[in-house]
Amino acid sequence: MVLYNAPTNKMLVDEIVDAHVLVIGSGGAGVRAAIEASRYGGVVLVSKTIAGKGGCTTMAEGGFNAVLRDEDSIQVHREDTLSGGAYLNDPALVDALVREAPERMADLVRWGAVFDVTDDRMVAQRPFGGQRFPRTCYAGDRTGHEIIMTLLDRLDATDTQLYQEVSVLDLAKDEDGAVSGAIALDRDGNPILFRADATVLATGGGTQVYDISTNSAAGTGDGFAMGYRAGAELIDMEMIQFHPTGAVYPYDARGRLVTEAVRGEGGILLNARRERFMERYDPARMELSTRDVVARAIATEVLEGRGTSRGGVYLDVTHLPAEKIETRLPVMLEQFLTYGVDIRREPMEVAPTAHHIMGGLRITPECRTTIPGLFACGEVAGGVHGANRLGGNALADTQVFGKRAGEFAGKAPARSGRVDPARIDGVLRMLDGFSEGDTSPADVRRDLKLTMWNRAGIFRNAPDLSAALGDIRELADRRLCAASATNLLDCCTVRNMCTTASLIVRCALLRPENRGAHVRRDASVTTEPATSPFGHTYISLAHAGIEQREVAA
Amino acid sequence: MKTITLRISRFDPAADAEPHIEEYTVRVNEGARVLHALHAVRDEHDPTLAYRYCCGSGQCGSCAVRVDGTPVLACMAEARDGMMIEPLDLPILKDLTVDMEPVIAKIARICPAPDAALPAREEIAAIKPLRDCIECLCCVSACPALQVTEFAGPTVLRQEMRLALDPRDSGDRITDAIEKGLFYCTTCKRCVEVCPKEIDVPGKAIEKLREVANRRGLTLPRHQEVARLVQETGRSVERTKTTFLEEVPEVIEPDGPVRGEVGFFVGCMFNGRVPQTALDAMEVMKRNGIRVIVPHDQVCCGSPLIRTGQTSHVEDLKRKNIEAFARRGITTVMTICAGCGATLKNDYETPFEVKDVTEILTGYGIEPPAKLDLTATYHDPCHLLRGQGIREQPRALLREAVREFVEMPSQCCGAGGGVRSGVPEEAKALGAKRDECVKATGPDVVVTVCPFCEFHIADCTDVPVKNLVTVLLEGYKKKDAEQKGSS
Repeated sequence: MVLYNAPTNKMLVDEIVDAHVLVIGSGGAGVRAAIEASRYGGVVLVSKTIAGKGGCTTMAEGGFNAVLRDEDSIQVHREDTLSGGAYLNDPALVDALVREAPERMADLVRWGAVFDVTDDRMVAQRPFGGQRFPRTCYAGDRTGHEIIMTLLDRLDATDTQLYQEVSVLDLAKDEDGAVSGAIALDRDGNPILFRADATVLATGGGTQVYDISTNSAAGTGDGFAMGYRAGAELIDMEMIQFHPTGAVYPYDARGRLVTEAVRGEGGILLNARRERFMERYDPARMELSTRDVVARAIATEVLEGRGTSRGGVYLDVTHLPAEKIETRLPVMLEQFLTYGVDIRREPMEVAPTAHHIMGGLRITPECRTTIPGLFACGEVAGGVHGANRLGGNALADTQVFGKRAGEFAGKAPARSGRVDPARIDGVLRMLDGFSEGDTSPADVRRDLKLTMWNRAGIFRNAPDLSAALGDIRELADRRLCAASATNLLDCCTVRNMCTTASLIVRCALLRPENRGAHVRRDASVTTEPATSPFGHTYISLAHAGIEQREVAA
Repeated sequence: MKTITLRISRFDPAADAEPHIEEYTVRVNEGARVLHALHAVRDEHDPTLAYRYCCGSGQCGSCAVRVDGTPVLACMAEARDGMMIEPLDLPILKDLTVDMEPVIAKIARICPAPDAALPAREEIAAIKPLRDCIECLCCVSACPALQVTEFAGPTVLRQEMRLALDPRDSGDRITDAIEKGLFYCTTCKRCVEVCPKEIDVPGKAIEKLREVANRRGLTLPRHQEVARLVQETGRSVERTKTTFLEEVPEVIEPDGPVRGEVGFFVGCMFNGRVPQTALDAMEVMKRNGIRVIVPHDQVCCGSPLIRTGQTSHVEDLKRKNIEAFARRGITTVMTICAGCGATLKNDYETPFEVKDVTEILTGYGIEPPAKLDLTATYHDPCHLLRGQGIREQPRALLREAVREFVEMPSQCCGAGGGVRSGVPEEAKALGAKRDECVKATGPDVVVTVCPFCEFHIADCTDVPVKNLVTVLLEGYKKKDAEQKGSS
């Protein structure tokens, strides 16, 4: 079937793929969703990379939180998650997360995952920040890689159709305004239209909008931007997790994740004066405080002149046995050795790095977004982690909500199969426009990343945020230029980055308080997380604001 | 910031008949990786440059390319001035992007049994070294067996062993592994050398799978014959003439003062097939003041059995050999066979030190021979270069012995890992590639330090192939003749 533009009779797209469930994204959440949806048949998974190589699940190092021991409890995991999230989390989503994480962990083990185990044949667990029980399951420090490899094995056993190196540009909608698929580009720059009864957005995060980020090159926030353009509501987009420990050297590798497992295994933080400075910020939890606290502590040490010459602090494991470093942190050891640092003998230098977007599309526990036909799971969805995510809860999130999204999308009724051609035509016109642009996407990307880092980073205030918004709007208005068909995607990606950045900054301006990862140096009100009168910030094409909530005094 | 110049292989299937090289000069930061140099080329010179990348931290395996011929992860290898960047040796899609999907599709998936339970700690520990693979396909690009056979690739076999070790898996991994070319691997270890995760595929997967195959009676018939021979005679080579051990006394005293003493592990090839080379080595040792002790009760080192998975008899061989040298109080054992040397060093736990002849000679320093009027090249035996990490010593000795030394690109000759006996057509095809390389290099003689390589390359090329010790001895003979002439 060929889709024509009625007025011009011009052929729009010559490849059309029909699915019952379309899953966009091949990270942990997307693949888990496809596996679950495949029980209902007709699943298409679209991956902008080779599956298993994109996204941040592959890079996740430290672990997967699940209550597995009698001494631990679902209730404690729930409380840790809510308290760590500064009580901004959606409690119904947290309930699903903590209740189902053990089952999802069991799925992975049943499907062949090679997690570390204890002598008594239980999945081993390590301590992570902000949790009262060591409940972080791990496979050395390549836990996410283990999970994605296992999921791909499982996916292969289903009849899911996999489209690799095909990048979705925008969601398609039917005449009733429901999402009915998506328009994408293949590797050579040819458009493909996917039509589906249900569409699962599992595109991951987007901290590549910051100059210093742990995210893979794929973490450009495409899903936030596509959801927003399709009319979905997003919440808490100001909530950006700055991971406390990113590499600071060499320059081009700055921001590269240094896993929390380093601290979980006993690593300590020291400033340039060799003071264990966490004593001054969180003496009870020290290095294993929540990430927002540790990141601000490090940033403060550096800002106040107690950082290293490269603008970081020391993260030291030299007191640990070499054998423990080699078996529990092999990836860290290998990466630092590549850059000439033997972490068994000398400390690492680290500084905060943009890591995770807690906000995202508003979802129900069934992963339904605010528009019919569209589901979301994983990092692109908001509400699970509140104002600060606990380390180890993201991998659990991908599995719990990936499974839920797949299930409810799979159960979704058949739709008309119709696609509003005007929307598709608009995307194709935009692509045509890139052949006439005059600005390199690389230039816009670079300026955007610097603006976000300098004006919407760890410490914020209204003038900086407003200036950032002005910069972003100016950058978004540039006429991007694609040097060839294969460069069309670069332009679309930069456009998505501008949209995601603007959502972050607009929501940051909407929240007047300090809450979790969001710190306004000019905060107009002082709130306590548990009793804050503010709920989610929300933003969509139709409206934007911050929810007020009633809290028991 | 610093300025570097790099060359990049460019190919656009829509416009080009074949790849061509373009040169670019870019500014990069100190410590920049190859990937950052590629970004600089894309952002400053040509936005159409196609290359894959994703995680930027060596974890996703998207960005492998060849830098100066060697596969590396672009995000981890440091950018160098003057480097040449080419795609992996796989079908090219555009510029530096290659078609990875067909290879990845060959990597087996686990088939969990319905009642699969969590493996025990020791089972996990066994699997882990094979689980780090990020499917970057560096090994597939570098593997010589892939150039001439239907071998599915090192990482594909790695996965078969990973699954064979998992109690949850219900697949028949040995049958799969054999179909995927289990017996094609020459154990040259080039895959280990290029693996960003340093996974020992030959040692931890290929040889182990061959062991399981052996237990199921699936060892190749030619390999079984060798095992039978070792079991019956203690040797992997049939006795067709007077052997080295039959010709020499237990102690060979040097000509002049004693500068050192070594035990000599002769190995089956030098003992039974090419004893003259071993005798040449003894002359070189005598000339250089090194006493050689040759225990006559030594046997095969077991390498032909270990490489082919026939290990049931190996412990007995190890015990006999260790006793033969230890009983005589020998502290340093010399090998002149790369295969024996690598086996004694890597598969044995010896109470004595094991050294290759080139380590012994460069360690003591040798009397300079007269230079032979020859242009010589050197073939790196896999089991010396990668099995023992020896690269410079043989070159240093060879430079002293010939008029001109020329380098030749290094690659497995095809003789190892039981391939010459078990899959002769593959060995022949790899030997032919060596011949092409020799021809392109144009030496008068090819020198090596491994009897298997020597024997096999000699079969595949018209150019004479000699052991390094023979060349040294010829140099001494020439020197003696010249001195005799002048006196």
